[in-house]
This record gives sequence, C-alpha cells and structure tokens, in this order.
Amino acid sequence: MASLVEFAGVGFGYPRPERSREGGFSVTDVSFAIEPGEIFGVIGPNSAGKTTLLRLLTRVVAAERGEIRLAGRPIAPMAHAELARQVAVVPQDSPRPFPFTVEQLVLMGRYPHGPGRFFENDEDRALARAAMAATSVLDLAGLPLEQLSGGERQRAMLARALAQQPRLLVLDEPTSHLDLRYQLQTAELLRRVNAEQGTTVLLVSHDLDLAAEVCDRLLLLDGGRVACVGTPATVLEQSVLEPVFRCPVAVDRNPASGRPLVRVAWPSQPGAARGR
Amino acid sequence: MRRGLAATLMALTLLVAAPVTAPGAALTVRDMLGREVTLPRPPQRIVSLVPSVTEIIFALGAEARLVGRTDFCDYPAAALGKPSVGGMVNPNLETLVTLRPDLVFATDEGNREDTVRQLTRLGIAVYLVHANRIAETVDLIARVGALSERPADVARVSGEMLRRIDAVRKAVAPFPRRRVLYVLWPDPLIVPGRESMLTELIEVAGGVSITANDAEAYPRFSLETAVARAPEVIILADHSTGTSTAGRAAPEKWKRLTSVPAIQAGRLHSADLSILHRYGPRVPEGIETLARFIHPEAFP
Amino acid sequence: MSAARRLTLALGILTAVLLAVTAVALFVGSAGLSPRAVARALAGQAGAESVESIVTLQLRLPRVVAAVLAGGALAVAGVAFQGLTRNPLAEPAVLGVSSGAAFGVVLAQILGLQLTFLQALGVATFAFAGALMAAAAVYLIAVVPGGLSIQTLLLAGVIVGIFFTSAITVLISVMDYNRLGGIIYWLLGNLAPIPAGSLALFAVLALGGCWLILRHARELNLLALGEEAAVQLGVDAVRLKRRVFVAAALLTGSVVAFTGPIGFVGLVVPHLLRGILGQDNRLLVPTALVGGGIFLLAADTLARNIVAPAELSVGVITSFCGAPFFVYLLRTRYRASL
Repeated sequence: MASLVEFAGVGFGYPRPERSREGGFSVTDVSFAIEPGEIFGVIGPNSAGKTTLLRLLTRVVAAERGEIRLAGRPIAPMAHAELARQVAVVPQDSPRPFPFTVEQLVLMGRYPHGPGRFFENDEDRALARAAMAATSVLDLAGLPLEQLSGGERQRAMLARALAQQPRLLVLDEPTSHLDLRYQLQTAELLRRVNAEQGTTVLLVSHDLDLAAEVCDRLLLLDGGRVACVGTPATVLEQSVLEPVFRCPVAVDRNPASGRPLVRVAWPSQPGAARGR
Repeated sequence: MRRGLAATLMALTLLVAAPVTAPGAALTVRDMLGREVTLPRPPQRIVSLVPSVTEIIFALGAEARLVGRTDFCDYPAAALGKPSVGGMVNPNLETLVTLRPDLVFATDEGNREDTVRQLTRLGIAVYLVHANRIAETVDLIARVGALSERPADVARVSGEMLRRIDAVRKAVAPFPRRRVLYVLWPDPLIVPGRESMLTELIEVAGGVSITANDAEAYPRFSLETAVARAPEVIILADHSTGTSTAGRAAPEKWKRLTSVPAIQAGRLHSADLSILHRYGPRVPEGIETLARFIHPEAFP
Repeated sequence: MSAARRLTLALGILTAVLLAVTAVALFVGSAGLSPRAVARALAGQAGAESVESIVTLQLRLPRVVAAVLAGGALAVAGVAFQGLTRNPLAEPAVLGVSSGAAFGVVLAQILGLQLTFLQALGVATFAFAGALMAAAAVYLIAVVPGGLSIQTLLLAGVIVGIFFTSAITVLISVMDYNRLGGIIYWLLGNLAPIPAGSLALFAVLALGGCWLILRHARELNLLALGEEAAVQLGVDAVRLKRRVFVAAALLTGSVVAFTGPIGFVGLVVPHLLRGILGQDNRLLVPTALVGGGIFLLAADTLARNIVAPAELSVGVITSFCGAPFFVYLLRTRYRASL
C-alpha cells in the first residue's frame, strides 16, 4: 500500500537570515512517510519546526528543496482547492474576531468541494450536520462561535475539518488550551474518526502524553531535522528524548494502556523531605 | 480729459455689447468671458446670480425684468422682494427652472462652473460677467443696459458714476499719495493684490496700496512685511455682523504696532466695507469712503 | 431558512422600500409641482419644454438615479473593505480612500477634464488611481506581520484622508483661486443631476464593481477564518484580496468622480444589515447595494427639501448620521481590537 504522505528530503527556510542562523524556523532534509489509516504524531520542542511542517504540507509555504507527495502525487503543482479536498487542518486557535455561527463555520469546510457554487447545496448542508453531530456540536449550530467555551469551539473547528471529508486530517496542538476533560474528549474523538471513517490523522503536539496514547507512530523533530521516527515505544525513549529536549526525563509505562509515559525528572528540593 | 475718455469707452462698449437691430429681434452677443450667447429676443425674465448685477439692474430701472436673485443680493432693499434661488455657490436648480428665466447672469468669481454647465445643459442661456476694474464695471453696466434695452439709463448711471469718481480724483489730487494697507481679513492676514479692484479704488482715492504688486487677487500676507512697508494709512474691513464677531476688525491689535507711520499719525480706520466688493453703481460711494480715510484733509 | 431564501426575501423587501423612496423623491421638491404634473412628466405626456418635464426628467430623475447608484456603490465598497480588513469600522471615507479619489478628480479638473462622456471616463480614471493610491498607502502603513493592525489602520486612514484633502486645497489655491469656494463645497459631498451619457457610464462602473465583489462574496466569508486557514481551504487569498481591494477602490473612485466624496454610507448601511441578516457577505453585498441606494436617496431627498429653497449637502446629512454611529460602534462593540 502506498504511503499517503511522503516527505522526501524537504528543506525550507523562512526569509529571515537571523532566524535561520539561530536554526529556529527552518526545516532541513526531512524525510518520512505517513501510512493511510494511521494516527501519526509530530513532536519536538518549541521551534523545532512542527508548525512549519504543517505549512509545508498544506502549501501555505513552498518547499525549497526536496518533494512532498500526497497519495503519490507531488503537491507542488496542485491547486489549493484540490489539496483542500484531501487535507483538512484544524488550527491551534479559533479565529478572532469571528462573527459567524457554528453552522456557518462548518459549512465553510464544504468550499473546496464546490468552489464555484455561490450557495451551498443540500448535500453540503447534510454533510455539515453530520460533522456537527460527530463532534457533538449540533445543538450549538445556531450560536455565534464567540459565545462558545474553549472546548466547544475546538469541537466546532474539528467539525469544519470533518465536513471537508478529507483523507488526511491535520491537527495543530489540538489540546493546548483545553481542560483535562476536553483533552480526553478530543483524543477519543480522534480515535473514533480514525476507526469509523478510516481517516488518516496527523497530529502536531507538544503534549507527549497525548502523543503516546493516541498515535500509532511518531516523528520527533529537533531543530528542523528528523531526530527519530517510529512507534511511541521506539521514539519515547529516554536516550532519544533527552538530547532533543535537553533536560532529564524519565519514561515509565502506563499500566492501563501499556504505552510509554514521559515525565520530566524534577530536581529534588534541597533540604526538604516531602514525603516522596 | 477723463470724461471724454469715459464717454468714448461707453460708446464703444455699447456698440460691441448690443447689436440690437430692432426691439424684439433675435440677438447673439459675446459675454465678458468671450462666450457666445444667443437669445431669440432680448431677455424678459432675468435671473441674477451676481449681487453686483442685481444692483445694476435696479439702478438701470430694469427690475421689472428681474425674476430671481440670490440670497446675497441684498441691495437695494427692493431686491429682497424678488424670489431667491439660494446661494451663489449652490443655487437651487429646481427653483431656478420654475422661474422660467430666459437669461441668467453668472460670474466666474463666486458661482460654480458646474452650475453654469447644468444651466446650459437645461437650455437656459447664461451670460458670464467679470469685473476687476472700474472700466470693466462701466462696461458691465453698458452690457446689462443693452440686454435690458435701457440705453438711456446706461448713460445716466455711468455718467453719474464717472462724475463722482472724477470729483474724488480732483479733491485728492493736490495731496501726495499715501501708502495704504488695506486689511481685507485680519487673521490670517489677507490683502488685495494686483488682480483686485480694491487696488485701483485705493489709487483713485489718492493712495497707493502697499500690496499693489502682489500676485493674485487676495493673497495671504505676512504681518512683518506689512509693517516693514510702513503704511501711512491702515484700513480694516470689518465683517462682523450684529451678533457674530467672526471677522471683527480688532483695531486694538494694530495699535500696538507703534513703529508704523499710520499708527503714529492715528490713521487707523475700520468700517464695514462690503460695498467695495460690489462692482456696480455704488463704486463711487466706496471710493469716497476710502478717500475720506486716506485724505481726510481733502474733505473738510 | 436557507441563505438563498433569506436573500430573496430581503431583496424583495428592500426593493419595495427603494421604489417607495424613489416615488417620494420624484414627487417632492422645491419646484412645488403637483403629483399629477410629475406623473404626467414621467409618462411622457407633458411637453418637453414644460417646467414639469424639465424639473422631473432632467433634474429630479437623474439625481435620483445618481443617488441610488452612489449609495449602493458606497455601501458595497464598505462591505468589501470590512471583509478585507475584518473590521466593521472600515469604509471608504474612514480609510481615506474617498479623499484620495477626490484628489484624483481635482487633478483631472485642473487638467481640464469635465463631465462629457469621454472626459468623464478620464475623470473616473483619475479618481480610481487616487483611490488606489490612498488605499495602498493606508494598507502599507498599517500592515504588520500577521495581518493588519486595526488601530493603525484607522489612524492611517485619518492621516491619509487629511493629507489628500490638504493636497486638494493646496492644488486649488495655487492653480486656480477662484475655484476654491466651489471645490470646498464639492468636498462636502453633493448630488446633482448628471448628463445621461455620464450617468450610463457611472452605472456601468458602479454595477461592475459590485458584481466583482459579489462574485467573491463566499471567499470573502472564508477570509474571516484567517488568511492561512483560508488558503488551506483552497482560497487564493492573495488574488482574492487584490481583486476585492481593486473593486472597492473602483467603486469609491467612480462615486467620487461623479458625485463627490460622500462619507459614512459604507459604515451605516452594512452595519444595519448585519444586525438583521448576519455576517454572510453573500447576503450583505446584494442587500447593501439596494440598502445603500435607499439610504443615500432618503438622505438626499431630505437634504433637498428640509430647508427649501436652500439645499443642504447630502454629505452633511450622512455625516450627521454616520459620525455618532461610528462613535457608538467604537464604544460598544469594538473596544477590544486585534
């Protein structure tokens, strides 16, 4: 089975000489593949290039070196609308200001499938409702997005991405602003979407717990380069993580799921015995 | 000598301005900006968008033919009895059209070009006037008189005008010219320049405007330069009305300039001089007022 | 109710209101014509030279058409600028674009262009160029990495507006002092009857500009997601912004060329419509076209008649409505900006 996404020797630097000297925002010689149907996570410290990778994949910026392929076809010559029919992005934050309702937001996800249509048709509306039902925001459909809580907004944004009916669902830091409860909800939602519809999921996160629990495979980025690719057990290893995150970590095992559990090794308090 | 010249001037303008062959016949004339104006017959229903022309029409006794004026046409008092079409800059076209004029007087200094174009497009004849000199004022009176078919009154009005002007000239002739600063507007300081009729009026009244050579009609001027040119007479135009104090002459501001000969000699005058901005039969009155300020000794 | 049906309903109601206001505008005026006289003139039954024909067909009717076109164009330009900047306070006058266009018009007039058909095209071109210059200046001043800073945008608009207005005064004072009074009057914004050929040109430019914006109304909605997200949905954001920007400048330029700079229509009308119809630009653009026409026609009819036979400038009426409206918007809904 051919990979869904392939990065082959991809290089890119933002046009700011100072930044690439810091090694902050550029990406160098990145090669990896995402298989159809899997949940793939991209992790790494801040400024490792995770978001840049997303931008390259959705062609917000263009790779300067190497090639990116989607289902075997290079994305460079693809029209944005064609790319949008296959790849849907849930961004980190909901847009502000955003005076539209939830339903109007979700309907926007139908645009790539009918850019010539002035108004959405019945099929668009039906798919939008299905997407809202899938993420449990259907009863909020008529409300302005700005009136929703953080978690509800995130679910609405996810519904929009689902309405796009993508082969690849991309999420940028999906749990960064959420309460624990919503973090759990999001993880379950992703698993369900992946299992029920076979949608491939690409997850960018600095939440290593989420990555460990939800992802089938992980890509660890360090300074714009690939540090490690593999299963969570392979990648979330002390010897792999410490040089990248440049701090002492301890990796345990989650007794319930068997997945790795990463902890920062906090230094012990000098002169305080606090029952630990 | 001047009288003879004036008479020749009048005769010439009569000839040029009004080739009326017979009363009631069609006529084509050139207005004061050189435009050709064609009328089926001499105008019977005139709208004047120019206060000076309104004055002239009344002075000639042709007011029966005047059917409309502007809000600014305030002299003589009888003019207020005629319907007004609004301001000079924005006359109400509907009202104007309702008056069914066959000729509209307009000027390029005060009316808008757009208004003239609109009227022309509506098929209404427009006669443009422009007068920056006494001679042009005489010409204007002759033209209006010709169009309103009152040549005898032209002679009477112009004659009277020129006689009075001449009288002032004679009265101030023995005295040396005084340097005059005329303050049209105090703040910012605006004075009459080369193109303004005021410069000529001051000259006739026995003075010489210290801003006579400055470009344009009403340039802004620097107070320093005015002081440096040491005027012997300062005349302040007062624009304040009963209630509003905008444009008040503020003579006390000038009294502090003690280096200026005018202040030292006590020749600082302020008055409502709006009459000096009309180019009509009241020009001599304006000149007489100026002459009294400039050469009080000539009028004991 | 689906968006399409809401749009049809809204347009139906607005069109009916427009027809009513048009009727009032045609029947009321300083000439004091009886309704029957006006009706006769409209039906072509009065003599071509009669007072009612001249007043109704040559004075009132062209002015009514000009008001509707200008109001519609300004309202749609407002919707466009608001969609582009994602801020409901943006509109041609606030952004200084009207002043840029006015500068273009004055320059054209100094060079001798008037309102005969071909020359009208020339004037409109100058106005368009001026509008583009002003809009570009405001954009360049206000753009920061990541988007447009709204406070800077509004400030830049004010500054650019003042700059161009001052430039106009200087130009006139230097070139042709006598015109100064007339130009200052024109700058207030006035509607006057326009000759038929030029009116047709105005209609083409205004409706063309509105059409350009309407075509992209759906993408303009998507721009609210943020430029990056819009691109990820398949919108060519750069091309969209450029096209809408140019179309809005064209609309502003043509209004200023034919009727002078009139402010606040693009602020008041879209906001009122948003309150009823919501944010969807696909509904706002067509309803703004009709709604703007109603607003300006009503304002002009008021300006013409309230102190008859004198006339107020219509720009005065729109400013008197618009300025307090602007303050109200600023204080209630848009205190926290980008």
